[in-house]
Amino acid sequence: MRTFAFARANSVARAVEHRQAELVSAFVAGGTTLLDLVKLDVMRPSRVIDITPLPLTTVERLPDDRLRIGALVTNTDLAYHPDVLADHPLLSQAILAGASTQVRNMATTGGNLMQRTRCPYFRDAAAACNKREPGSGCDALDGVNRMHAVLGASSECVAVHPSDMCVALAAIGATLTLHGPNGEREIDVADFHRLPGTTPHLEHDLDDELIVAVTLAPPLMPLGTAYVKLRDRASFEFALASAGAMLSLDEDLIGEARLALGGVATKPWRCREAEALLAGKRADTAAFEAAADLALADARPLTHNAFKIPLARQAIVRALRDAARRAREDDA
Amino acid sequence: MMETIEYSPEAAVSVHLTVNGVPVTAEVSPNAILLDVLREQLGLTGTKKGCDHGQCGACTVHVDGRAMNACLRLAVMCEGQAITTIEGLAEAGQLHPVQQAFLDHDAFQCGYCSPGQIMSAVALLEDPRVPGDIVTVREAMSGNLCRCGAYQNILAAIQDVRLRRHGQEGGDDA
Amino acid sequence: MSAIPEHHVVGRRTPRVDGEDKLTGRADYTVDHRLEGMLYGYPVPASIAHGTLEALELDAARAMPGVVDILHHGHFPDLHRSPNSMRQGNAVSEVRLPFEDDRIHYHGQYIALVVAETLAQARAAAFRVEARYHRNAGAMTGLAASDDEGEEVGQYTRGEPELAFGIAPVILDATYTMAAESHLQLEPHATLAEWREADQRLIVHESTQGVFYQRNALAHIFDLPPEQVEVISHYIGSGFGNKLFMWPHAVATAAAARLLGRPVKTVLPRQQDMMTTGHRPASRQRIRLGAELDGSLASIQHDSLTETSTIDRYVDACGGATPVAYACDSVATHQRILPVHHGSPCPMRAPGEASGLFALESAIDELAVALDMDPLALRLKNYAHQDPQRGLPWSSKHLDRCLESTAERFGWASRDPGIGNMRDGDEIIGQGMAAATWFAGRQPCAARVTLRADGVFVACGTQDIGTGTYTIVAQTVAELTGVPVARVEVRLGETGLPAGPLSGGSMTTASTLPAVAAAVRDALAALKEVATGPGGSFEGLDPAALDVAAGTLQGDSRQAGFAEILARHRLSDVTGEGSAAPADERQEYSFRSFGAHFVEVRWDPGISRLRVARVVSSIDVGRAINPVAARNQVEGAIVMGIGMALLEGLDYDPRDARLINANVSDYRIPVHADMPEIDVELLDYPDYRFNEFGARGIGEIGLTGIAAAISNAVYHATGKRLRDLPISVEKLMDRT
Repeated sequence: MRTFAFARANSVARAVEHRQAELVSAFVAGGTTLLDLVKLDVMRPSRVIDITPLPLTTVERLPDDRLRIGALVTNTDLAYHPDVLADHPLLSQAILAGASTQVRNMATTGGNLMQRTRCPYFRDAAAACNKREPGSGCDALDGVNRMHAVLGASSECVAVHPSDMCVALAAIGATLTLHGPNGEREIDVADFHRLPGTTPHLEHDLDDELIVAVTLAPPLMPLGTAYVKLRDRASFEFALASAGAMLSLDEDLIGEARLALGGVATKPWRCREAEALLAGKRADTAAFEAAADLALADARPLTHNAFKIPLARQAIVRALRDAARRAREDDA
Repeated sequence: MMETIEYSPEAAVSVHLTVNGVPVTAEVSPNAILLDVLREQLGLTGTKKGCDHGQCGACTVHVDGRAMNACLRLAVMCEGQAITTIEGLAEAGQLHPVQQAFLDHDAFQCGYCSPGQIMSAVALLEDPRVPGDIVTVREAMSGNLCRCGAYQNILAAIQDVRLRRHGQEGGDDA
Repeated sequence: MSAIPEHHVVGRRTPRVDGEDKLTGRADYTVDHRLEGMLYGYPVPASIAHGTLEALELDAARAMPGVVDILHHGHFPDLHRSPNSMRQGNAVSEVRLPFEDDRIHYHGQYIALVVAETLAQARAAAFRVEARYHRNAGAMTGLAASDDEGEEVGQYTRGEPELAFGIAPVILDATYTMAAESHLQLEPHATLAEWREADQRLIVHESTQGVFYQRNALAHIFDLPPEQVEVISHYIGSGFGNKLFMWPHAVATAAAARLLGRPVKTVLPRQQDMMTTGHRPASRQRIRLGAELDGSLASIQHDSLTETSTIDRYVDACGGATPVAYACDSVATHQRILPVHHGSPCPMRAPGEASGLFALESAIDELAVALDMDPLALRLKNYAHQDPQRGLPWSSKHLDRCLESTAERFGWASRDPGIGNMRDGDEIIGQGMAAATWFAGRQPCAARVTLRADGVFVACGTQDIGTGTYTIVAQTVAELTGVPVARVEVRLGETGLPAGPLSGGSMTTASTLPAVAAAVRDALAALKEVATGPGGSFEGLDPAALDVAAGTLQGDSRQAGFAEILARHRLSDVTGEGSAAPADERQEYSFRSFGAHFVEVRWDPGISRLRVARVVSSIDVGRAINPVAARNQVEGAIVMGIGMALLEGLDYDPRDARLINANVSDYRIPVHADMPEIDVELLDYPDYRFNEFGARGIGEIGLTGIAAAISNAVYHATGKRLRDLPISVEKLMDRT
């Protein structure tokens, strides 16, 4: 494990200054990604900046009724927060479907957004990986790629974004507040994660900035939600395919639908076309299947992961079905 | 306002912890991991290293009452925090009720994952947000792997403690 | 099954005597040991699987703080290989010495050992070692990627299996494969070696299932008399077979300790543990069955191919149980091995037969379908009432009782045999069953028992790998002396103790307890001699007239406690020695354990989700000395079997044989949430023909047959016959 300098920031501004001051620096909060990857010699920061003293640990309800989540709120606290459970059960479900109790106790909201891929070639410093070492190639493309992406991939990178929380954020809609050298700005969560394209090492739209808050879009009402996560074992595993769905129902017609996918794409994958297709349709299997087909129309398999396309289709259909059921139950 | 703190990579940092109720100062490097400090510097080898990457749960300790993987935590970031390890559970030679239940239910074989299982179980039983049904308990304990496969007995031990606690509470109500 | 009388300890549920140490963190596993002046070793693994190490750049690593030395091919003492003999007790897992030459045979092979003052320093420096390789093309990545049929290493034939197959009215010919599996015991391999120059002694703490094997091997390797090598292993964070025989990290660490004159501890990081210390090799098995229309088996042919490494010849004998599993006149097995560029495989829980019974018990299920017979009825139809391989009676076989009891508790009679007919909401219920079996063996064992005023001390150089050996040894002493278990002190896991067996093959209980009993009797005889001698409590009485009860000797209407007898003679203790070894019981009987697993799976076709919901098992291992620990063994094996059937497989890159999932996340073992409802019954038919305690072993049998039972249940739910483990979701989704 390499050595690094350590700084503890006492303000957001100081944290950002610290980051700018060093060529290769990294913020640390929960540490569950950073220290894992430092031990593997995959991340090699020369300075680590501890941001845990920063006052970013609360979930507050804004005057317009939206929820603003501090970047340091842990995954556990977020999942069990009464306002989150009341307004955005999908977020709670998605978080609790991810990782383990211990990791959720450590991991933070901002850190989860910054989570790195689990691609084994990315995690092996001896393998070729454009994300880790630009220009070195991609060993996953023709290697063992069962776990890799069928959506949003490029010839440079096929690594999956592993987060469950981010799938829920994509479906719910959220604004990230970023603090940088030039002050604060806001960005739609949908624009935060980048597609790999020819620059898979550039994963986010960040410019020496720190995520300070996530503000959730207002909830759909009446609402049914479902997070369906399909994986090999029953828990503590990343998704092969997951789908987060939110539906508002008017009688049996879909009012608004939200759909996002995890485990199959290079970033948290919002399915806007499928959502549009669902709006106004009867909430039945035919509509769900049509939406799923549209959501996956651009999916392209690799050698070992063709099954992910029908599996994601199943996750979508089941998530929409269960969300509709819950919307009906809530209405009843 | 707290001063900004900076350490060079070679610095020897004094970290002040409360470990199992006892104030402790440890000299650590900035990249020292809590698990290694507990085991190698403080001699608290009850906390085990199984994978060193947060994947097995053998290193689970409580940091300010929360179950965490000590292998993914920088020691310098624990400044001022209370750490409880398996060595800190038994009081006055009396096993903690969860330890006793593990013994009674044979909730272990080789014992290597047991400290982590027990620390997770203790935290779980004290967290009112987590429902006590067996599906939820199994899910909540899934960050602690047991290759000997003593899961059924671990579950029985946890639910036994839960039942007894609720029994006591019920008794108070009655 | 009868209740255990009050004064008996053997056969009674007994909390583990080592439990409190394990549950409080006091148990001293090898990884926990620390010695004054100790250094830390950290191996550097090869990043290629097949080629040559051309150059090592060590300057940067050497310059790192705390680095004391770096051992490698150009800087390593001239050692000897172990003869690697099971018979001589010096078998090793990898014969090649570390850093022996510059050839790379597998991904992760050590190319250097960094030794530094602290763990952090050793690890940091290890990452700074740079290697340059020549990669060879054509790495053998595994048997799945090859048509090579390997080399035949064993075969068995009785009758005319090919002829009988050719004329049988109903036949089955199917091929089954299994991915390589990692043991993934939670305590990594670890060595703490100390060289004492003054008396030329090598003292090694090792997490091992066989302290004597390691001692003997180290003695050969370092050219020392065995008496000058000591191996200690008090607590083992399990092994499942990959800690039976020594691996190169131990040799490298011991060499460093001798070279540097300071103790050195090496704990393998998990990735290296998975790459370099063995696995169950991948297998491909072809089963051909021929049957009469009434279900009588006319022919069984079982051809197995398993992987080995390019540097060792490990044989995972898949067909071991096939000649004895069913009454059939014509049986043939063939075993072949294929060298591939992986680390050497080694035994893993129920080695060979766990794989073999997956194939055989799946094939029997397939035959039952072909015959339109109930698979339980087919097994009873071909019940082997005696050992069909040796023609001898079984010492004790109650497989029929296992099958009947399990079927009843499971509710097999209400199973609808039609595919996918049993539904519950979104889920289809599948039910399947299979038989389990494992041989019962014994190894030589010695023990020493010391009766003291404060209790009994018992010593035996076997190990407790989590199976409960400490406790059953204490129970045995308590049973024979009447001294409470709490006052029996058990010492295991040291070569300074009387020689004990490997903790492997489910042989520990049956090997160890008779030796302990002999030592107890020897000690009691010594005590009786004292007590009946001049000035004794029973002076003049015939020692044979004295009884032992509750820690006392009794006779002539009097009784005297052990302590009292010792005190009267100013003796600190009396000691007895005992030993036991397999005798000629095998000339008269065949010894095996048997069992049955019935499994219910839930298949949700809408989301392609399969889970094991319920397992009901009955196991016939003779007498369970400690039923609570014995049941735990079977439950744990069932969990491991779920992993084998549905989850586990080591992934080697098909281009270059690099192991890409050497971690605890990407190599998936079952977690709490994967647990089904488990109902294990231990039949209680003591096998006194095997030993005086009636105990066979229980570590392995639970893992045999379970994968087949799951696969058979999957077929019942889905109509898909999945012959390739693990049964991962893509195989279930495949429409073909």
